[in-house]
Amino acid sequence: MCSKTVYAALLTLLLCLSLLAASGQPCHIHVRGRVQDVRTGLPIADANIWLEETQIGAVSDSMGRFQLSGICPGQYHLRVSHIGCETLRLLIALQKDTALLVALDHYSKVLEGVVVKGSAGPTTTQKLQLLSEQKITENAQLTLANMLEAITGVSVLRSGYGIAKPVVHGLYGNRLLILNNGIPQSGQQWGNDHSPEIDPLAAQKISVIKGVGAIAHPGGALGSVISVESSRIAREPHLHGRVTAYGESNGRGLGLHAQVQQHQKALAWRLSTTLKKNGDRQSARYWLRNTGAEEVNLALQLEKDFSNRWHSSLYFSSFNTKLGVLRGAHIGNLTDLEEALQRKEPFFTEPNFSARIEAPRQQVSHHLLKWRNRITLQDGRYLDFNYASQINNRKEFDVRRGGRSDRPALSLWQLSHWANAEYDTRLGKGQHLRTGLQLIFTDNANNPETGILPLIPDYFSAQAGAFALWQKQHKHSLWELGARYDFILQNVAAISFTLPREILRYYNRFHNFSASLGWNHHFSEAFKLGWNTGFASRNPAINELYSNGLHQGVSGIEEGYPGLKPEFSLKNVISVEGHLRKKLFFEALGYAQRVASYIYLAPQDEIRLTIRGAFPVFQYEQTDALILGCDASTAWRASERFQLQVKYSFIYGQDVIHNQPLVFMPPNNLFGSIAYEVPRLGFLEQLEVELFSRYVFRQHRLLPEQDFAPPPPSYNLLGMKISARRHLSHSHWNVYVKADNLLNVAYRDYLNRQRYFADDMGRNVSLGTVWVF
Amino acid sequence: MQHYCILSVYLLKLLIKSFIRMKRFFLASWLIASLATVLILTTSCNRDPELPNEEELITTLIYTLTPTAGGAPVVLSYRDLDGDGGNPPVITTGNLTANTTYNGTIVLLNESKTPAEDITAEVRAEGKAHQLFFRSTVSGMTITYTDTDADGRPIGLSTQLSTGARGSGNLTITLRHNPNKAAAGVAQGNIANAGGETDIETTFDINVQ
Repeated sequence: MCSKTVYAALLTLLLCLSLLAASGQPCHIHVRGRVQDVRTGLPIADANIWLEETQIGAVSDSMGRFQLSGICPGQYHLRVSHIGCETLRLLIALQKDTALLVALDHYSKVLEGVVVKGSAGPTTTQKLQLLSEQKITENAQLTLANMLEAITGVSVLRSGYGIAKPVVHGLYGNRLLILNNGIPQSGQQWGNDHSPEIDPLAAQKISVIKGVGAIAHPGGALGSVISVESSRIAREPHLHGRVTAYGESNGRGLGLHAQVQQHQKALAWRLSTTLKKNGDRQSARYWLRNTGAEEVNLALQLEKDFSNRWHSSLYFSSFNTKLGVLRGAHIGNLTDLEEALQRKEPFFTEPNFSARIEAPRQQVSHHLLKWRNRITLQDGRYLDFNYASQINNRKEFDVRRGGRSDRPALSLWQLSHWANAEYDTRLGKGQHLRTGLQLIFTDNANNPETGILPLIPDYFSAQAGAFALWQKQHKHSLWELGARYDFILQNVAAISFTLPREILRYYNRFHNFSASLGWNHHFSEAFKLGWNTGFASRNPAINELYSNGLHQGVSGIEEGYPGLKPEFSLKNVISVEGHLRKKLFFEALGYAQRVASYIYLAPQDEIRLTIRGAFPVFQYEQTDALILGCDASTAWRASERFQLQVKYSFIYGQDVIHNQPLVFMPPNNLFGSIAYEVPRLGFLEQLEVELFSRYVFRQHRLLPEQDFAPPPPSYNLLGMKISARRHLSHSHWNVYVKADNLLNVAYRDYLNRQRYFADDMGRNVSLGTVWVF
Repeated sequence: MQHYCILSVYLLKLLIKSFIRMKRFFLASWLIASLATVLILTTSCNRDPELPNEEELITTLIYTLTPTAGGAPVVLSYRDLDGDGGNPPVITTGNLTANTTYNGTIVLLNESKTPAEDITAEVRAEGKAHQLFFRSTVSGMTITYTDTDADGRPIGLSTQLSTGARGSGNLTITLRHNPNKAAAGVAQGNIANAGGETDIETTFDINVQ
């Protein structure tokens, strides 16, 4: 199904209401209209138009035209649906004969890129790719990172299946910025087994900006940005919403998500809640014990216009999860790891399914409160004032002696405050200037309940930043120039590793600079070229400076290095996008990034003796890194119903000083799909059948001494999805059945840290339904 | 942290002053700024981190071998008083006599505290979830278990060690948590099928004279 780029602002622009002949006789109103594609402006034939309250409908002709007659004055819900597009629903007031222009996004399915044309506010020259609301709801069983994997160039670093964090262009964790409703997600991003604590179902839009740095945001992004957003509440006085329910075979998971919203004069509100639970996952050959997960989320959004110039919104979200870690992946030392590597199936494998989650496990809560204010001034200028606070509470439980398994082995509490002011103005024709100031305070504390020396120390950090972003639209070109500065203070209180235990204090000051230049040009409606270059610096994070301890999961002692300097990145991105006669669509993006003083965990010559045995020592060091890559996707729309798609992503990462590959670089991968759509079959509408295949190459770029086990072989996973819709008088249903790893292939993935111990997930069939009212 | 506190208080005063001449539109910004300041006040003026009570830590393993025929015991010990990292461990070993039988006892301690905590009792109480394994490369040396858990399976806190001819090599002592004690060979001291997590693994150089 094609994605919906129709959020409120766009919608009002696209729907042009022009008034025709006056005379408003009762029940004699005519509505004439035209349905067209938002990207090309070409007419869309065979679209279904339905006026819910009157039960009057029409079908657009070959010119995209339609007509509805005999309508009484009043307010109506107009619904426009078409094969391959997301159903559009609008509230319109009809007093007299009216002409409508309805725009649907007909090609969003063939291209992941976003329609910039006509969207409100400043656009960007950086490459933006999107997951629409429909894609989000039709993948309700997935976590944020697993959902993002559908975008070319995005990979997932996993520890099992449910613990997953996104990797964009080879960067993740401290180097990848994740925005939760415009606020940099604040938590324990440094951990490879810490997934972002965001519920994708509460969002209306998830986008990946494959950029060169985030000028408008603090947070040390060296390139790309992931943004999870909930849209503004549509100006609809009626109660609307959607309910999503799914079940999946692997892990016997169930989930329910409900979202309701209403725009009343006094207050607009949206409430959403998600419940998810699954038990042990199953690989192709055995159960993966203790891999269950639970999630309970809540989000509330309130909007109010205090005056016609002051718009204010309050957003609160609470994310709570409990995640099991494969029991057989919990090891004590290197001997245990070597033993685990030799096994056909992991230790503690049981012949039966279980839904219990025991140690080792993670329990994480994340709460966000955001207050946003926009003051609109004259001439399209505006001022934004925002405040947000986040609480992140992470507890990790290990298998411990003496009944201590119920006591966390890692317990971190983080409180952060964020405040910003932004001013947006127009400078003459086609010129736009955005400036802003930001303040961030983070207080990170270890809870001593663990009875274990903490892996990362307590710290307090303060950050102040300022940016300016200038844009100029000139004919078919968009130019962009931006710069940013950040000052960072770190006040660290660590506990000594020698006796007697004492508090060691460190004070650090860092300066980060970034600048970017971008340009894109529409050579024609069918061809667009974009280019971006950006410089960014990132100060070393607390874990890179001061982490100290045994990482049992990877059987190594990890040591920070307090003498680290900031790293500097220079990245260039070139992208092309276009089509040949609306049959063959293509999108390609190439990037080259050089990171000087790249911080990485380097194996040391030392083997350190502990009472658990001898462990290799890893320390954070700096080198120069080079990352090259390309993402390419092409779609052939053979007919209105039949479509072929191929996507490929390539990445090369090299440590240029030591002349060796960078570790944890995503392997190259190839994705292909064939889709066939049927407008109507019995009582079902817009039936779509899709077959897809994902081939992941072996990561051959790794030296034997860089890992405990060689990278796993390449694998190919087949999948299938069938979806259909049914429009009722005041609502519609979407139903989907999806099978992943259809052939139940036993495989291991290089970026899954569970690969040392067990196979990845076997076949999974999910069945879901979405009711939109 | 003190200078942040002073800064925050100053900022708050400034904001209160500015409130008097406030325009309506900027009420929001004032509220946001003051809210942020108050919260920063509460967070930035924090205290020293609390030291965790490291009660689970094992710093010391002592294997005392007393000849059954009488005589001075031989003591093998591993001590890492500050736990992982910090100062390196101290390992002491001793010489065994050929063709002799010893009664062996294991003592596990947490000596990072005073008085030292006895971990042995904890392992004994959870005997069903623990087992010690003894592996020797010295030819002719055998170690047998002389204790049992509630299921009648060995724990390994008490053992009998017999030496053969003169020779040298090493002895590795491993404590496994949650091993599969019912697996083949595990009750006889074969670690291969045991599984579980290693809590202790220490190796001593041994001379049999």
